[in-house]
Amino acid sequence: MVARVKALFIFPLLCAAHFAVAQQTLPQTVDFECENCLPTEALVKLSRQTGVNIVFGDRFFGQCERMDIRERGTPFFTVLEKITACAKVSYKASGNQVVFFRKISKYTLSGYVQDAETGERLMGASVRANSDKGVGAVSNEFGFFSLRLDEGEQKITVALIGYRGQTLHLLLAGDRFATVKMRPNISLPEVVISNLSGTDSRLQSVESQQNLPLSEMRQLPMPGGEADLLRLAALQPGIQTGVDGVGGLHVRGGNADQNLILLDDVPVYNPGHALGLFSIFNPAMVSNARMWKGDFPARYGGRASSVVDVRTRDGDLQHYRAAASVGLFASSLTAEGPIVRDRSAFLVSGRITYLEPWIRFFSKRGDLVNFSGDNAGYRFYDLNAKLNYVFSERNRLYFSGYFGGDVFQNDFEQLIIDPEGLQADRYRLNTDWGNHIAALRWNNVTSKNLFANTTLRYSRFTYQSRLGLDSRFYYANGRETALADYGLLYQTFIRDWSGKTDFTYYPDDLLTLRWGGSFTLHDFRPGAISANFLQPGQSPISIDSLANLLDNNEKLGADEAEAYIDVELHPTKNWRIEAGMNASAFSVRNTNYRALLPRFRLHHSGARGWSQWVGFHRMAQYLHQIGSFNISLPFELWVPSTRKVPPEEVRQITAGIGWQRRGWGWQVEGYYKNLDRALTFLTTNDALVTGGAEDASGWEDRIAVGRGESKGVEITLEKTSGLTTGSIAYTLSNTTRQFPEINSGNVFPFRYDRLHDLKITLNQRLARWLDASVVWAFATGNPITLAGVKYTHQSPESDIKREVVVFTEVNGYRLPSYHRLDLGLNARFASGRFSHGINLGVYNAYNRYNPFYLYVDSRSGVQGRAIQYTLLPLLPSFRYEIKF
Amino acid sequence: MNRRTPPILLLLAMLFAQCAREVFIDLPEEPTRIVVISHFSPGQPFKVRVSLSQPLYDLRDPIVPDKADVTVAQEGVFLDKLFRVRDDFGNVFWESRDLAETGVPYSVAVRVSGYPNADAAGFIPVFSALKPIQIDPASITETPLNDGRLLMTFPLQLQVENLPADKRYFAFYLRHDIEVNDGTGITTYEGISTNYSADGRTLSLLHDLEAEPLVLINEKFWSDNRDSLVINARIAYNPAEHEKPRRLFVEWRTLSEDFYKYHLSLDRQGSNLPLSDPDAVYNNVSGGYGNFSGYSVRVDMLELP
Repeated sequence: MVARVKALFIFPLLCAAHFAVAQQTLPQTVDFECENCLPTEALVKLSRQTGVNIVFGDRFFGQCERMDIRERGTPFFTVLEKITACAKVSYKASGNQVVFFRKISKYTLSGYVQDAETGERLMGASVRANSDKGVGAVSNEFGFFSLRLDEGEQKITVALIGYRGQTLHLLLAGDRFATVKMRPNISLPEVVISNLSGTDSRLQSVESQQNLPLSEMRQLPMPGGEADLLRLAALQPGIQTGVDGVGGLHVRGGNADQNLILLDDVPVYNPGHALGLFSIFNPAMVSNARMWKGDFPARYGGRASSVVDVRTRDGDLQHYRAAASVGLFASSLTAEGPIVRDRSAFLVSGRITYLEPWIRFFSKRGDLVNFSGDNAGYRFYDLNAKLNYVFSERNRLYFSGYFGGDVFQNDFEQLIIDPEGLQADRYRLNTDWGNHIAALRWNNVTSKNLFANTTLRYSRFTYQSRLGLDSRFYYANGRETALADYGLLYQTFIRDWSGKTDFTYYPDDLLTLRWGGSFTLHDFRPGAISANFLQPGQSPISIDSLANLLDNNEKLGADEAEAYIDVELHPTKNWRIEAGMNASAFSVRNTNYRALLPRFRLHHSGARGWSQWVGFHRMAQYLHQIGSFNISLPFELWVPSTRKVPPEEVRQITAGIGWQRRGWGWQVEGYYKNLDRALTFLTTNDALVTGGAEDASGWEDRIAVGRGESKGVEITLEKTSGLTTGSIAYTLSNTTRQFPEINSGNVFPFRYDRLHDLKITLNQRLARWLDASVVWAFATGNPITLAGVKYTHQSPESDIKREVVVFTEVNGYRLPSYHRLDLGLNARFASGRFSHGINLGVYNAYNRYNPFYLYVDSRSGVQGRAIQYTLLPLLPSFRYEIKF
Repeated sequence: MNRRTPPILLLLAMLFAQCAREVFIDLPEEPTRIVVISHFSPGQPFKVRVSLSQPLYDLRDPIVPDKADVTVAQEGVFLDKLFRVRDDFGNVFWESRDLAETGVPYSVAVRVSGYPNADAAGFIPVFSALKPIQIDPASITETPLNDGRLLMTFPLQLQVENLPADKRYFAFYLRHDIEVNDGTGITTYEGISTNYSADGRTLSLLHDLEAEPLVLINEKFWSDNRDSLVINARIAYNPAEHEKPRRLFVEWRTLSEDFYKYHLSLDRQGSNLPLSDPDAVYNNVSGGYGNFSGYSVRVDMLELP
């Protein structure tokens, strides 16, 4: 190659240099003839004839054939172009000289990166041309890449963590479409590398930077040994959860409903099982997951705080595989394989729990209010399915579905002995809730540098509870009276039908454009209660008890449209600009809202692994989850913005600095987040006596509109290679809320405000087949509203006395600090075609009684006595997995 | 340690794990303060109940000071020093000789030796009247209950004549009289609290106060320029025992902001149940606790057919 380059410059013929005489200008027209000449001969002849110094390389015209030229009074440049028309050259004229250059063509290399064994498309692979220019690209969420390269021979390097690097030698003489097949590198330790390259911003794409380290997910000790995506996300700085995961994710002071959680591009309205202890994402299905903490691109809309974008695996196009796992709480079974080899594949996975013995055990020991029944039972289940069909190299169709839910039941019987007889109450509660999700997706490589993804989506979340109360009084004389006998059915749901199209355009290696739009039809049923009197004409007691529970058959529809454009520009090797605009419109009950939401982020990758960035992002949210307890429980209602309930709006400013080199990295990021409009629900006490099923009548008038603020600094230190890996994530933050109707209009701490939040994870490879993990988490205690003083309210005109507990400030008291230690040991070994994995662990190893709730037992008369409820004490975990 | 020891240790650790346990916490300590409760209305003397706050764990009855200096001022000028009264039920309060008037700014000052002084200010808002209330005899229904009683139900429309543009703070209360005519004479049970029902939205925005015989109407009820509250009065009576509902009393109050916010905050306190989300108590008594606020009121009597 070097020799060829030399040849190009050594052999330029300085034709007719001796003709470079006094003639200073180029002739206007010439008469020129040359029979059976090569272009080089014609140029030399022309140079001699006109005295113009013509510079060119003879290799420029190697492909040309002999020609005849006869021109009379033809412009000089026209003659030049006719002579050189057979070659890819251009020229520059200056004074008495014309210099020819070789015209270098650029071609597009595009295609997919996929797993060689399974055919799974791989996201985040770096595809880099080994030239001085270092042109590179990163495969998108569907494994597609596109980059512009000079014609000629190219050496392409493809790299992805966990896979053997691939080097391709290509002779580019035109646009090429290629499928790069990568083989897993099983000898690599499962370490996490966040960024592939130190300084080249083009290889630190927006996509790959936000990846959650899924390899850690199976290593870290988690309750029951259940690898959990959202628990992994919660280990990132700036992300809070309720105690032990209950209460959802709270990203930089946002509410749990402000997270856009996507499963194969479909919004998930309830991402948790068991009130948030486990997520709905079956680890066997997850291919990759990305998370943005508010600084998300314009293509994500509809939520105000964060995005968790989870993609499921495609299924093996070549081999049949299966995996089964058994743990203390749950078991799962996964099967995949080709339907038509290399053409279509299926992937099915199911998970089911057997928590009921545990619930009974803990409910008897723990005296938990909700589980106080004699026959309390709970379970959850997940079923995922995915099909994909490869129509051609450029077209692929996917169908993915999810069906999962939770079931809780509690039968409670009590006998009350009365001097006149016996009262027998039987209380029955059956509750189920869950998500149904489906997506039909068409991937299309429209042209060499245009990728299109079109999705039809369906998402539904339902919550239903059936409550029955049968209360009878048995007199001593044998007479029996029905005190109450009724049933309640409570339902709430949200259902979406939507269509979405996204385009990604790679005009050159400096610029990536994404644009697209979506339209969603929402249906809401916000909390309908229907009461069923089992006996016509009930006793006064039951009538009174049901006075506040009436039918609410309200159903609401809303339309949401969204369009966006995202620009990712790399003006130089070190700078990256991400700019976008999300435009949305929401229509409900003849009320229309529109929003233009700019997103901007500037990123600089400096020398020796340094990087800096700043960003500004604005988000709006038209759907809200409002609840009785404000801790994001499944029966909390999803409702739309209406004329009385304005959209939530958030602005966030971020700035950060980081360093990453040789397997070590740290970063510091500061943020300021302003919730221009935040919502909360002013509840009644009905929800407390109906198991959370609160009649949502008049919900619009029971929503308080306020504002909030969150600011903080997030510090991360990580080691990502070697036998010992791990990270330290620390967040210093402050989050507040302010509502005119609450706390007398004064600012108060957000329910999940924590000044300090520290998470330390450590993985140690002990042997080729064995590694150990440690997680230690510490957080300032949650704020809680408590009182130390009481008084008695009694009007002078009234005999009614009411004890008033003086809650002087909402969330003015702190629960004790939260901390826990988790330990895990993971072993992997293979025998024949079977591979085995064993996970042993202890969650909350030193059995810290982390307070979930504190109940002040003021009636005890003992100063300071309180009952503290702990969700998860020391929990051993075990999981065995087999793959074949 | 044999091979079975580690699993047994794990199992034991699990068995000893408990989800609920008793702890002792340092609650926010507040010094004892004077509690002032007074709701006043036009043409009535000021009646002020004075007591002392207690630690949360104090199970004793509220302490009423033997001596208290309670004065009322009008527009900052001394009006009256209230005198101590003990009613027939043993309740102690302080009462003025002067009567309260609508729209006049009043303040109360309470001095009890050994405790911080308590001061508060309030006024009586201008009354927003209802349009005449009527009961349509044709709308009355009677449903038999399984204990032999009848449930009389009829709609009531409470329409505000001139709904103010803001500060729509109202409350109502329903009572009824039942006459018993057993042939030997007529006995009247007076002032029985009347139950009611309504549509879901209305019920969700009504606060049936525990502290007062009163139903507070959330100000958001009046959104969309709604000026009428429609409820169904429900009166159960026993014809077999010669009972007959005779009169319905509709009490309608226009509340001051202090009255409204105080009672709304009490209602939103919840029941101190697990996971409830209590609100801070609204307090307009500086140096103490409680509420000093006015209201205007009218009671309409309707004969039941």
